[in-house]
Amino acid sequence: MAKYHNKMVRNKRIQAVSSSGEVIEITEKTISKRHKYSAGDKVFFIIDYLFFIVFTISCIFPFYYLFINTISDASLVSKGMINFIPKGINFNNYLALRNVTDLSNSIIVSVARTVLGTALMVMASAFVGYLMTKEEMWKRKFFYRFLVITMYFNAGLIPWYLNMVMLGLTNNFAAYIIPGIVAPYNIILVKTYIESIPSELEESAFIDGASHFTVFRKIIWPLSMPILATVAIFGAVGNWNSFQDSLILMSDANHLYTLQHRLYIYLNQTNNLSNVMNSTAGGGTALDYAQNGQIIKYTISMVSIIPILLVYPFMQRYFEEGIMLGAVKG
Amino acid sequence: MGSNSDDHSIITIDDGDDDAVYSEPDHGVNDKLQIIPSRVHQAEEYAEEQADKSYKLSHEKLTEIVQKGAPESTKKVKTKEPAGVAFALQRIAALLMFFFIFVPSMNPARISILINKNLSLFTSAVSYPSLTSDVGRGFRAGWIEESCFVVLYIGAILAVIGIIGIVVGACMSLGNNKLKKKSFIPSLAGAAVHIIGLVVIFIAYGQFADAKKQDKVEAAFASSFWIFAALVAIVLVTTIIAIMIVPKPEEGEKCEMETKFKLFLMFLPFAILTFVFCYLPLWGWRFAFFDYKVGDTLTMDKWVGFKWFVHLFENEATRRDLLNVMRNTLAMSGLGIITSWLPLAFAVLLTEISNTKFRRIVQTFTTIPNFISWILVYTIAIAIFSPEGFINSMTGGSTNYLMGDNFTWLKMLAWGTWKGIGWSAIIYIAGISGIDRQLYDAAHVDGANRFQRIWNVTLPGLMPTYMVMLLLSIAGMLSNGLDQYLVFSNASNLEHMQVLDLYVYKLGIQGGSYPLSVVIGMAKSIISVVLLFMANSVSKIVRKESII
Repeated sequence: MAKYHNKMVRNKRIQAVSSSGEVIEITEKTISKRHKYSAGDKVFFIIDYLFFIVFTISCIFPFYYLFINTISDASLVSKGMINFIPKGINFNNYLALRNVTDLSNSIIVSVARTVLGTALMVMASAFVGYLMTKEEMWKRKFFYRFLVITMYFNAGLIPWYLNMVMLGLTNNFAAYIIPGIVAPYNIILVKTYIESIPSELEESAFIDGASHFTVFRKIIWPLSMPILATVAIFGAVGNWNSFQDSLILMSDANHLYTLQHRLYIYLNQTNNLSNVMNSTAGGGTALDYAQNGQIIKYTISMVSIIPILLVYPFMQRYFEEGIMLGAVKG
Repeated sequence: MGSNSDDHSIITIDDGDDDAVYSEPDHGVNDKLQIIPSRVHQAEEYAEEQADKSYKLSHEKLTEIVQKGAPESTKKVKTKEPAGVAFALQRIAALLMFFFIFVPSMNPARISILINKNLSLFTSAVSYPSLTSDVGRGFRAGWIEESCFVVLYIGAILAVIGIIGIVVGACMSLGNNKLKKKSFIPSLAGAAVHIIGLVVIFIAYGQFADAKKQDKVEAAFASSFWIFAALVAIVLVTTIIAIMIVPKPEEGEKCEMETKFKLFLMFLPFAILTFVFCYLPLWGWRFAFFDYKVGDTLTMDKWVGFKWFVHLFENEATRRDLLNVMRNTLAMSGLGIITSWLPLAFAVLLTEISNTKFRRIVQTFTTIPNFISWILVYTIAIAIFSPEGFINSMTGGSTNYLMGDNFTWLKMLAWGTWKGIGWSAIIYIAGISGIDRQLYDAAHVDGANRFQRIWNVTLPGLMPTYMVMLLLSIAGMLSNGLDQYLVFSNASNLEHMQVLDLYVYKLGIQGGSYPLSVVIGMAKSIISVVLLFMANSVSKIVRKESII
């Protein structure tokens, strides 16, 4: 930023005095002096850069450390020899996951809820967001408040749980999907976005005899793709990471645990993973697996981190747009 | 389209969608037509093409209005709904029935204690396995014939189908006379099917009452049966009244509905979902006033009034627990609030760096932790800090940094900051890029150094955003979230880890003492809302702007 200012100042000066040749030189000299950073600035920059380098490494190193431990030679890992560089690279740990009981089930559940839950949530957010821009809707203001209040107020964990029990949504896959369909925050984001679309587009379509559904499908939906992408990304990450609903609602349905919940259970097992491994199928003995229990935990975490790490860099723009839109709306 | 939803002038046009465009009480039809004459022409052509009589009619009406002048078009044409009272009653009855099919305590099909008491009529009708989930032993021991349950199941299905018909009829009754006339078909059919369903349930009850092992079956008639019967009677009567009152639709009148009701009906499913998942839980607050244990039925003889509220303060052990929990909650929230300027500092320091590429990389990597779950954060904690972890393999020690209760609050704060700072900073980074560059140039020309520029230009520019964030975090003081504390807590650090959310979870879900945890949850919800409103008022006074 500092450089930027100096450039600005220089340009202004030159423009201002360009009619007289003498002045230019003087100005440029003064400016070029100023362009050099002072000693204090230098110290500041060194500290600043250093801080961000260290902090960025602290954010990224744990992932790297987990990863190299999962792909390195198991005997070296158990001796604590793998700290910075992977040695004896192999993917046996990932192959061994086939023998972790219930893991594939959990992956399927997590993927299914992420895809289905996100798709339904995005469609509902788009449609409700669109409806909420229609001021001629009966009692629109009331219903808008009705939606928004739910962001700030909830009855509490136990009433929520008892409600889900009452609705028969315990030990039921639908409990992952249905409650998440109406997402007030996302609806507000979409509504704000749709309000910025010129209303002439809609009006002309209405005059051509289009119904609200048609206008939504043919005009609003394609035009609000950017915000829907943002909403979808947030929804997908939320669904993928969610763990509380699985923990609380699925207590009697082992086959419906999400991947995060499964990982939580494995992490909490005081023993190694030997008791959940099918020792005969993998070709190794239970003892082998017991030694690698920790590594298997890491491997499962990697499986659940990798989708986010892969998607994130490409979608970062949408994430940031999302937080900005949210900020505008408060 | 800026008309107020409530004073909606109606110029009857065949397709409700179109009147959205024409029925502007404020702007008048003339303006609209002037803006888009070509469109109207096109529409006219289209109407002729389709030989759509009513569309032409409506257009004639429109042109008539236009010829007579705008003022008349703004006149409010409010027609009284024929049989309005009857329809209102019918809709209320339909709504109640629709609501009650999801409420287990209103299940008319629960005619024996063998049936799970958490089963709603809807679930009974949708899933036979859940209807009979508790009866497996009963069938094997010959307490009751399975055929009785099949009869009951059929009754429940019919009752639910009937209600769906009634609801469809109630929705259609929002339309014009033609549509109202049509709505009588689903209403009457629905009511009939529902009554048949109730009768079948009644027959099933007879079978249950005849079962041999009456002490095991305990056939008991559900009082909600009569509520459903009364509601369906209301529907039936109001429909018949409406049939007599609603005038014959005009010749050639088409089925149509005003736009405002169409839009409302489109939104209705989502409104119901919101109600069921966000408002209905409030019904669970009643547990706070009962002496309830897991597995009990909630009956009035278990009513204890404010016993649990008093218990909270009078019971020594609970009070001690709660004080400890509040200390932890407020300490951690307090630490969070005290350090809430960190993301701001992060953003300021990052934007001082002029190298865009470096900034981009830092931003990308430091926001990643925000998108992984707390369980994965805990895995990382294990990988780095456990006895076999990175730190110990570097130092050669075998300390388990995750156990023990030293600096628990600060550790939790550190994890929270590590996870969230990059993400929270984005909003400030964007805020900085929104500050007018000329302010910096002016400061520079005036000889302000870097720190003076940050202090006098950047920080004042970010203050409004920071204030909002601060007020929101104060309002959310009691909600630390469950995940972080659940995964990081263990026997050794629970003393300092137990926050309100974790305590309620352990007390209610794990311990099963619902009333007490509901009381705590109630208090938390109410205090949170009060805090939010207070924060909002402060914001209104200071910034003249509301935060919610």
